[in-house]
Amino acid sequence: MGRENPAEKALNLLRRRLCDPSFIFKPFSDSPDSNYSKLKFTISSSITEACNNSILLLGPRGSGKIAVLELVIRDLLLEFPEMISVIKLSGLLHSDDNCAFKEIARQLCGEHQLIFSKMASFDDNSQFMIAMLRECGLAHKTIIFMLDEFDLFAQITANYFDCKSHKARALNLDEVKVDLHTASRIGTEYGLQAECMYTSFERLLTLRTNKSLLLHSIFNSLQGKQRLLYSLLDAMQSVASQAVVIGDADQLLEKRVRSRFSHRKLLFLPPTKEDVQRLLEHILLLPTDSTLPQDYAVEFNAKFRNILADERFKEVIKTYMNTDSAVNYLLKFLFRAVSNMDLVTGFLSLENFKTALSNIQRQPKLECIKDSSILELYILVCMKRLEIKEQSSYNFNSIMKEYKSIHDSFRTSDYYAQNVCLRAFEHLLQRELISFTDSRGNNQSIEFRPVKLLVSSHELHQGLKSYRSCPNGTLDRISYPPVGFETNQKSLLRMYI
Amino acid sequence: MSKEESPQVTRRTTRHTSAAVSKTAVEMKASDTNPPTLNDLLYGEEEKPVSLDDVLSTFPGRKIQILELMRILGPLNCPVIPLFIYGDSSTGKTSIILQIFRHLNRPFVYASCLTCYNPRILFESVLNQLLLHRKNDANGYSSAKRCERPSDFVNFLREALVSVTTSLQGNSGKSGSKKSDRRANGNMFYLIFDNLELVREWDKSSTILPFLFNLYDILKMPEVGLIFISSTSPDTYYSSMGYVEPTPLYFPDYSEDDLRQIFMRYQENKKLYSSFLDVVLRPFVRITRRVDELSTAFSQLYKKYCEPLSDPGVVPNEEMKRRLFSNLQPHVASSMNDIFRVSSQPSTEVGATKEAKRKSGTKKSGGSEDIDQLDLHMSTSAKYLLLSAFLASRNPATLDASLFDSTGGSDNRKRKRKPSEKSLEQKEAAEQELLMKGPGTFPLERLLAIFQCITSVAEGSLEEEEEGNDWLGVQDGDDSLMSDVLLQLSSLCNANFIVKGASCPLEGSTRYRSTISEDMALKVARSLKFPLSKYIYRR
Repeated sequence: MGRENPAEKALNLLRRRLCDPSFIFKPFSDSPDSNYSKLKFTISSSITEACNNSILLLGPRGSGKIAVLELVIRDLLLEFPEMISVIKLSGLLHSDDNCAFKEIARQLCGEHQLIFSKMASFDDNSQFMIAMLRECGLAHKTIIFMLDEFDLFAQITANYFDCKSHKARALNLDEVKVDLHTASRIGTEYGLQAECMYTSFERLLTLRTNKSLLLHSIFNSLQGKQRLLYSLLDAMQSVASQAVVIGDADQLLEKRVRSRFSHRKLLFLPPTKEDVQRLLEHILLLPTDSTLPQDYAVEFNAKFRNILADERFKEVIKTYMNTDSAVNYLLKFLFRAVSNMDLVTGFLSLENFKTALSNIQRQPKLECIKDSSILELYILVCMKRLEIKEQSSYNFNSIMKEYKSIHDSFRTSDYYAQNVCLRAFEHLLQRELISFTDSRGNNQSIEFRPVKLLVSSHELHQGLKSYRSCPNGTLDRISYPPVGFETNQKSLLRMYI
Repeated sequence: MSKEESPQVTRRTTRHTSAAVSKTAVEMKASDTNPPTLNDLLYGEEEKPVSLDDVLSTFPGRKIQILELMRILGPLNCPVIPLFIYGDSSTGKTSIILQIFRHLNRPFVYASCLTCYNPRILFESVLNQLLLHRKNDANGYSSAKRCERPSDFVNFLREALVSVTTSLQGNSGKSGSKKSDRRANGNMFYLIFDNLELVREWDKSSTILPFLFNLYDILKMPEVGLIFISSTSPDTYYSSMGYVEPTPLYFPDYSEDDLRQIFMRYQENKKLYSSFLDVVLRPFVRITRRVDELSTAFSQLYKKYCEPLSDPGVVPNEEMKRRLFSNLQPHVASSMNDIFRVSSQPSTEVGATKEAKRKSGTKKSGGSEDIDQLDLHMSTSAKYLLLSAFLASRNPATLDASLFDSTGGSDNRKRKRKPSEKSLEQKEAAEQELLMKGPGTFPLERLLAIFQCITSVAEGSLEEEEEGNDWLGVQDGDDSLMSDVLLQLSSLCNANFIVKGASCPLEGSTRYRSTISEDMALKVARSLKFPLSKYIYRR
């Protein structure tokens, strides 16, 4: 194939940038009080001073914790070659301790050109790890543990201790739970110097007799070698995609951790407005000194600066960032916008961003309602009516009864046989607009199992309204509004007043 | 028939073969002992590139989605963030993505969570395709790697992907060396996971799902693209574990116009079919908008529509349209009410009844409509047993005595009082309860007792009617009825007409429940000439 045109090349470059976290977070690294600098300082000082250390990186999902950490480690590897080896674990993959030790052993073997045995038992692996740690300590080599998705490690340990405490019945139950929960979280995330561990975890250590989890062996290794250089880094926490939950979870951890470790916790805050602006410029402006034709790049940049200054563009970004302000979330949006770029003209336009916004912010339930056939809508409306009547639980048969009564009172033309309705009902189940209230009950046939609506009345209301005003030929399909909907809307409105 | 279904058929075949397309291609060649190459990871026949226009014209009504998909996948060698394609079933998600890859000529691995029904099979299937591993006699049909855990999978996957992408880069470096060879374009590699919604039902879904969604971040390989296909929207995947959501792409259901275009494709007589669609499409779309369901209904109806015509190639005029319409009118209404029946060949009557019977057996709910032409291939005793099970499920146990005592069930109707306000309320509540609870359960003893009662009653009625002319035969039949009644019961249970429930905690005996509908019970009774309605207790 011939030469790519510059637009395609530019698009390729932009997309490559958006998929490369180390590029994205680069601009945040230069200022002295950025997370990058703090993190780098802490780690490098613990390398040079040969002491154990631990840091907890906190922040909502997608705020670049891993990316920054990897930047730091990459730079440190250049700065202190031969002195660092990095072990990466992820709570998603290695929350099972057996797996975790195997992975640690595998990575250690890879780092030190040793032969890794797949058949090694859990015990072998943990012994191996301790031995390796000791050796590394003697050789003044630092091992950095990266625990991605840290809360998943903690969860398991916490659960373990929960049931341990039930068994032990030694102390007041609640107290034990909270205390052990904290302790185990901290314990797994921090491999600490044994002296300070002993004081903080006195109570924990009394229970230490048969803990077979990650925690256990970390303690073990600490007991043995007090001069061991040993840091466990990066804790991430799971964040559901709602802002409320983020704050909540953050606080939960903070409260527990603050008392002892406030100085070793890095908070990743969502980017400020200025940060976003900088980020946009950093990502979407083309370099003028690359293989791209210079006049093209200059023109591209000029056009993009125009867009950046546009109030409407700021509005788009603001609406988007309202739902979630993490950096990765922004990247997702930019990616969609950039891939909308017109390759013929070769420039970004405001339209690209607008269409990306509408493409990425979807209302799945509303879409589902719009996609339903009339009969399926009837069933939804019947269910809604049953709910309004405060019928606590209902199943297909009671829906059919309601359907018949609608038909009787409004004389609609859409009256179908029961098995046709049942099929429509099954469609709704597949679409997950409705679901069974009980998860099992295989014994019963579908007609008798109680169901519930998965759409709020507001969504249904909206869906019906937009269904009727749907422009592409649906209007005349429902040439007269089915009266059932009418009454439903009225009753819905009544509910809202 | 095949005319109307042809779009459907092609869709089906593509989907069916798609899962194994690279594999079947490989297996075909396996006999030729060709070593597998990277080109096996491409889709479609060799030497037949598909243009974008072809793709667009193959899928009417999907233009927006196809173009959007092309934009997201981007030009050659562009990295891509994870993509989540969703939409109702039969909206063309899988076929479109596969055709697009055929058009782009880029390598990919396709794994459907429908055929790979647990994590291990899913992982191994992906790895097998990546490592160009064929299951055959020589290796005892084993997988390339044994891997059950996500952690192992990631290690293997990374290894395999690195080797694949480096060889792809090598490929593109010396591109054009052999012009006849069909090569993969670019050095991007794609993993496609289809039917993702099924993963939610898996045992380990709570770990596998976040793992799959986070796979892109875990791998950290920009030259690997991930595509998820699901029939449910992203909001149905929420779990306690968060993840950065993949970028969504929605395939909406087809609109009426789209459906018209789809059905008009591959029609020989477009004018005639269009006038047919004028009649049927609108009412049917009110019920369902799924292509697969509509096409089965239409294929039958179109045959009916064409029946009066001598020449199928005729171009209809207004008058003829009207005539055809009035001819079709009665069929439309009836067809609408059993639109979803599995189409059975009307010519082969036996096949039809079998089909219907099997359907009513496996699917209790669908049975009622098919009974009309259903010739019940059941022994008399099985029919009686079925009826008694039905009665036992519907009637309250306390009424058995009055219904089945020697004087017959009819006299207790006389004792009806005028319903008071309160009893009406109670009645309503009871009705509600019946609707909710469904058929009741009963122990075996009660079933046998009712069975005995109704067989003796039937015997009596037969005597009356037929003046005892085959009294002996009935008597004999009765004897044999009792002998293998338990056997009959178990075969009815197997056919799902009667469901064996959990044992009662108080009595410890197994309880049964009849699942047949009242219509069906009445029909069975009619075939026996048994006055069933006399015995059903009405509230």
